[in-house]
Amino acid sequence: MEEYPEELRTPPVSLVALFGYAELHASITKYLHSQQPPINALAFPDFSQISLLLAHDDQISRTSSFRDPLSVSDSASPIPSRCGGILKRDWLLKHRTKVPALVAAFFPSHHIFGDPTQWLQVCSDLDSLKSVIRPKNIKLVVVVVQSSPHEDISDDRLVALRKRAELDSKYVLFFNSSIVSELTLSLSRLASAFAELALSYYREEGRRIKSRIEKRSSNSLDLNVRYCFKVAVYAEFRRDWGEALKFYEDAYHSLHEMIGTSTRLPAIQRLVEIKIIAEQLHFKISTLLLHGGKLIEAVTWFHQHKTSYEKVVGSTEFIFLHWDWMSRQFLVFAELLETSSATGQSLTSSNQGTAEISLTEFEFYPAYYYQLAAHYLKDKKSALELLLSMSEIAQEIDSSSASITPSVYVGQFAQLLEKGEAITLHSITDEEYTRYTISEAKRVQDSLQIIAWLKRSYESFTNLKAQRMAALCAFEVAREYFDLADPNNAKFFFDIAANLYRQEGWVTLLWEVLGYLRECSRNLDALKDFVEFSLEMVALPVTSYENSGNLRNKNYGPGGPATISGRESIHQEVFTLVCREAELLSSTEGSGFKLATDSPLHLEIDLVSPLRPVLLASVAFHDQMIKPHALCSFTLSLLSHLPLPVEIDHLEVQFNQSTCNFVIRNSQRPLWASASNTVKSGSQVENAPLLVLVPNNWLRLTYAIKSEQSGKLECLSVLAKLGPLFTICSRAESPAAMEDLPVWKHENRVESLPTKDPVLAVFGQKATQVDEPEPQVDVSLGASGPALVGEDFAMPIVVTSKGHAVYSGELKINLVDVGGGGLFSPREAEPFSLESHHVEICGIDGAEGNNESESETGSIKKIQQSFGLVSVPYLKEGESWSCKLEIKWHRPKPVMLFVSLGYLPHGSEANTQKVHIHKSLQIEGKMPLLISNRFMLPYRRDHLLLNRIKPAPDSEDVSSLPLNEKSVLVVSAKNCSEIALKLVSMSIEFDDEQGETSCLIQQGGGCGDSPSSANLAPGEEFKKVFTVIPTTRTPKLGLGSIHLKWRREGGNITEAYVSTKHKLPEVNVEASPLVMSLDSPPYAILGEPFTYAVRICNQTQLLQEAKFGLADAQSFVLSGSHSNTVSVLPKSEHVLSYKLVPLTCGEQQLPKITLTSARYAAEFQPSAVASSVFVFPSAPQAEKAISTSK
Amino acid sequence: MIVCVAVVGHQNNPLYIQSFTDADDALKLHHIVHCSLDVIEERVNNPKKSGTTLNEAFLGLLYPTVNYKVYGYLTNTKVKFILVTTDLDVRDTDVRSFFRKFHAAYVDAVSNPFHVPGKKITSRTFAQTVSNIVGSYGLN
Repeated sequence: MEEYPEELRTPPVSLVALFGYAELHASITKYLHSQQPPINALAFPDFSQISLLLAHDDQISRTSSFRDPLSVSDSASPIPSRCGGILKRDWLLKHRTKVPALVAAFFPSHHIFGDPTQWLQVCSDLDSLKSVIRPKNIKLVVVVVQSSPHEDISDDRLVALRKRAELDSKYVLFFNSSIVSELTLSLSRLASAFAELALSYYREEGRRIKSRIEKRSSNSLDLNVRYCFKVAVYAEFRRDWGEALKFYEDAYHSLHEMIGTSTRLPAIQRLVEIKIIAEQLHFKISTLLLHGGKLIEAVTWFHQHKTSYEKVVGSTEFIFLHWDWMSRQFLVFAELLETSSATGQSLTSSNQGTAEISLTEFEFYPAYYYQLAAHYLKDKKSALELLLSMSEIAQEIDSSSASITPSVYVGQFAQLLEKGEAITLHSITDEEYTRYTISEAKRVQDSLQIIAWLKRSYESFTNLKAQRMAALCAFEVAREYFDLADPNNAKFFFDIAANLYRQEGWVTLLWEVLGYLRECSRNLDALKDFVEFSLEMVALPVTSYENSGNLRNKNYGPGGPATISGRESIHQEVFTLVCREAELLSSTEGSGFKLATDSPLHLEIDLVSPLRPVLLASVAFHDQMIKPHALCSFTLSLLSHLPLPVEIDHLEVQFNQSTCNFVIRNSQRPLWASASNTVKSGSQVENAPLLVLVPNNWLRLTYAIKSEQSGKLECLSVLAKLGPLFTICSRAESPAAMEDLPVWKHENRVESLPTKDPVLAVFGQKATQVDEPEPQVDVSLGASGPALVGEDFAMPIVVTSKGHAVYSGELKINLVDVGGGGLFSPREAEPFSLESHHVEICGIDGAEGNNESESETGSIKKIQQSFGLVSVPYLKEGESWSCKLEIKWHRPKPVMLFVSLGYLPHGSEANTQKVHIHKSLQIEGKMPLLISNRFMLPYRRDHLLLNRIKPAPDSEDVSSLPLNEKSVLVVSAKNCSEIALKLVSMSIEFDDEQGETSCLIQQGGGCGDSPSSANLAPGEEFKKVFTVIPTTRTPKLGLGSIHLKWRREGGNITEAYVSTKHKLPEVNVEASPLVMSLDSPPYAILGEPFTYAVRICNQTQLLQEAKFGLADAQSFVLSGSHSNTVSVLPKSEHVLSYKLVPLTCGEQQLPKITLTSARYAAEFQPSAVASSVFVFPSAPQAEKAISTSK
Repeated sequence: MIVCVAVVGHQNNPLYIQSFTDADDALKLHHIVHCSLDVIEERVNNPKKSGTTLNEAFLGLLYPTVNYKVYGYLTNTKVKFILVTTDLDVRDTDVRSFFRKFHAAYVDAVSNPFHVPGKKITSRTFAQTVSNIVGSYGLN
């Protein structure tokens, strides 16, 4: 677009000429430029320069006379008449910079309204102006410059001025420059008048030209195009874009009709003229459409423009002219799209194109047009090269075409000749013109232009996320660089294209790109890159057997067509180059690479390398866990997609534990001197009968290795040696996690598994885990059942040496609460537990062992009650040492015992690390005996205890005992552990002396009858009876504690007894106000009467009223009072007596009596046991019973 | 004249490309088919902008090149059919009819129990059927 002149690239603006009053021109010109639309101004200082305007007019007259058909024969004209054209080159520029639309004449006011001499001068100047501008219909404005607003204005003179200038009154303006506000107002009036008159001028001019079109005064298409063009330009001057667009299009269509019909010029030049003017017209149309925001219409117009002219080729011999023109169309439109702001807006429209032409997405972006511009430029370049190669007059072109220059008319060329001082233009023949064009074309660097435009297209497509179009542009750029012998830049852009083709698996396109990359590497003397690109090409899944003829290979890159034979030939070329032997060195010099004989070539293939199809290594361990020093089997599988078999000299399998590395050597291959150096002296060497990679078949090798070190054992890589100087290192992969090869995964072929075992193929891993070695020293904790609260629990700890000796042994012992907290819990502390810890280490006894260990027991250090540190003496291999850990529980809870042994396996080596063995054991602490107790009140003697009737508010669940009465206390001890216990003794002892004076406790049954000891099985219960006689009245009477002596059953007889105390609960001792007793014989005899008496004893100082009731019993005949109310005197006793005769034998219930105390509202009711009596049938039976009782 | 037909998988990998011209055009046609995938992606990702109705398999003219016109067709399984023709006055109805027949042939080919989905189509019957379809439309 920069090639176009500025008057064509920018819209035209109005032009005015200013005469007189030069001091005002600067401000007026500046103000006119700031208008919208702006107005250009030509400044003439005074009226004496009217002749300059006249000079332009002379040129116009000459041009006008030239266009007159009657003046064609005028030989005096410097331009030959037979060289007429369609558009004059300078017409547009002239109307923008030389021919004004109006002239403004500035006169001071005193010249008009003052002296008659000055008035005559004004009239003379006006007459001169009118004579110049009237023939061209240029407008006139007279400006009267006032120095002050108070100057006198003569109406008569003003009227005379208007008549003289032949102007309307509104075009005689007053300009006042003395005051700023007046100046601004004057400038505004001036600009408004200028714009109005300019508009009028351009409208009249357009109408004048338009009338010629309508009259069709001439049938010439040339004139029609010219007239339409002028009308369009005048419309642009008036900012009438619609009319301008219409007439540009009319001109375009008329011009198109001239193809094949015009005979004014020779054939080639005629077509060139038409196409160049069509180009400019289309440029105008596109500019107007795009600046108006009509993107779709602009693209549609371009489509029509391209369609109209792409077949108008002209001479096939000089077809490069056509390609050059086509390229320029696309380039200019691309640049217009880039500079237009309508690109982003119109794409939101849902309607694209018209019903006749369907537009696609890319046609709205500059990238598409840049790409095609480059494409057509390549066609031009090819055509030109072809023409030059066949031309026989190439040498004569430069000299003879030096004087040819563009002619007066657009699209025409002429030859400049000098005859003396005069310069004349002569028309040229087509032959001369073609020589000129060839000469011009040779000077242009087409390749650089192609690269520049393709780069812009590449960048634009990249921004559009059209990566495939971008890759194609990159490929084209790279090819241009390749043709320019610039391998560095070519390689860069080839890589861009290759990456996308690899990713999407477009093998045919990738083959083409890699072919170029090989040649770039060859030219750059980069052997490694050359080999890599070659191997990648060879390993592509090209399965076509087609082989086109040699004549057609010119359409392919250096790699040729993608065929199997092509793969094979490149394969042989590369392996001959890199796997050469010493005797073949001379023959490989021809490949272009000059290498030193000892220069190795090493290729790395990782998981994302494009060379994975060349050598794919899969490693699967047969076991996921192995023991140290044990043989571990694994399968190494190699796969290659090279088209020909490849023989490997040796393989080096590398692990993360380097001691496991080993080499697999091909026994049929010679042992190179350099190969021996690569094999480490300590590496394991295996011989394989055959190491040949067959195409698309797995080479499976199974080996076993031994690992000394624990932890992860992983196969890292497999290094293949091919010849003396070539190695390929492939990263090992697990069959379970092996990715598909991107370029091979879409091929429809039979795929085999890397291992024969399907399980390994699915789950196989290249890594395995080596277990830790078994410890050589054993620490055992001999737990002997749950611990019992109160005893000294013995925990044997045995340290046994199995594999080696023990030096500097040290045992660390820890007691940890299982619940996570400390052993001491303040909230749960109980009064009887005086110790601060619930579980503590009492001591460590090292009783066993040799004499040396006995002497070292003094070094036991007990830091805390829950931590211990013991030194272990030296132990030889096979020896053992033990100690006993004594732990005492004060509360039943579980604890965790941690024992850690740290020792040195070798005492003499200082750098040897200390070995640690950890053991832990959870020990449950349980209560051995569960103590419970209950009270039994006296038999058939009921006491009224007020605490039972109305318990005190602050009293707890406390038993109540009557004062000075004998009660029975039954104490039970239940074995709730899991082992048998031996209860030695059970006794009650008072805690203090006060208890002895306030209570009397005796062992029931006599001491002689009590067993000395009792064996309690798990769950068994032992009971003992005591009698309690409280002698002191107190709410809380302490009865002391139960003392138990016990030990484990079956233990050592010498073991001491365990003594534990269990506190008895306190009791409430109170005096009973009323006591009811039942007196009845121990038995009865059928038919014989006996006395049944109820005694009511009042032990208070008050009179007690008692109400009693006696129920009947069917087994007895009763005599006595059934119900009554009696009064018992203080400190006295009242007796209710009844005579009963039993009627039935056996255990019988006596009549039930109920006694109610009126004062205390308490009711006495004997229990069923107390109210029963046995009835014998006869007296002899009674004799036997008495003897039995005795 | 139909010069090339292609089947492209859902990962934009070529499954079948056949050119019906001399061998020297094969590479250029590969490039054209490959670049047309950009337009297909654009239309699929922006259906409103391109004016294509949803669920419409026929994508219409993808983009014009210098001497060819490229048409696209998208199946429910994201497999793309691409047609490259040198005819400049192609009617949409004819292209739709072609793609419908081509789709039927493709369905027959992938219904083969020995065909692995996602792999290249190597069926000779499919190739013959495609040649017949192309031949019948080339004569029009």
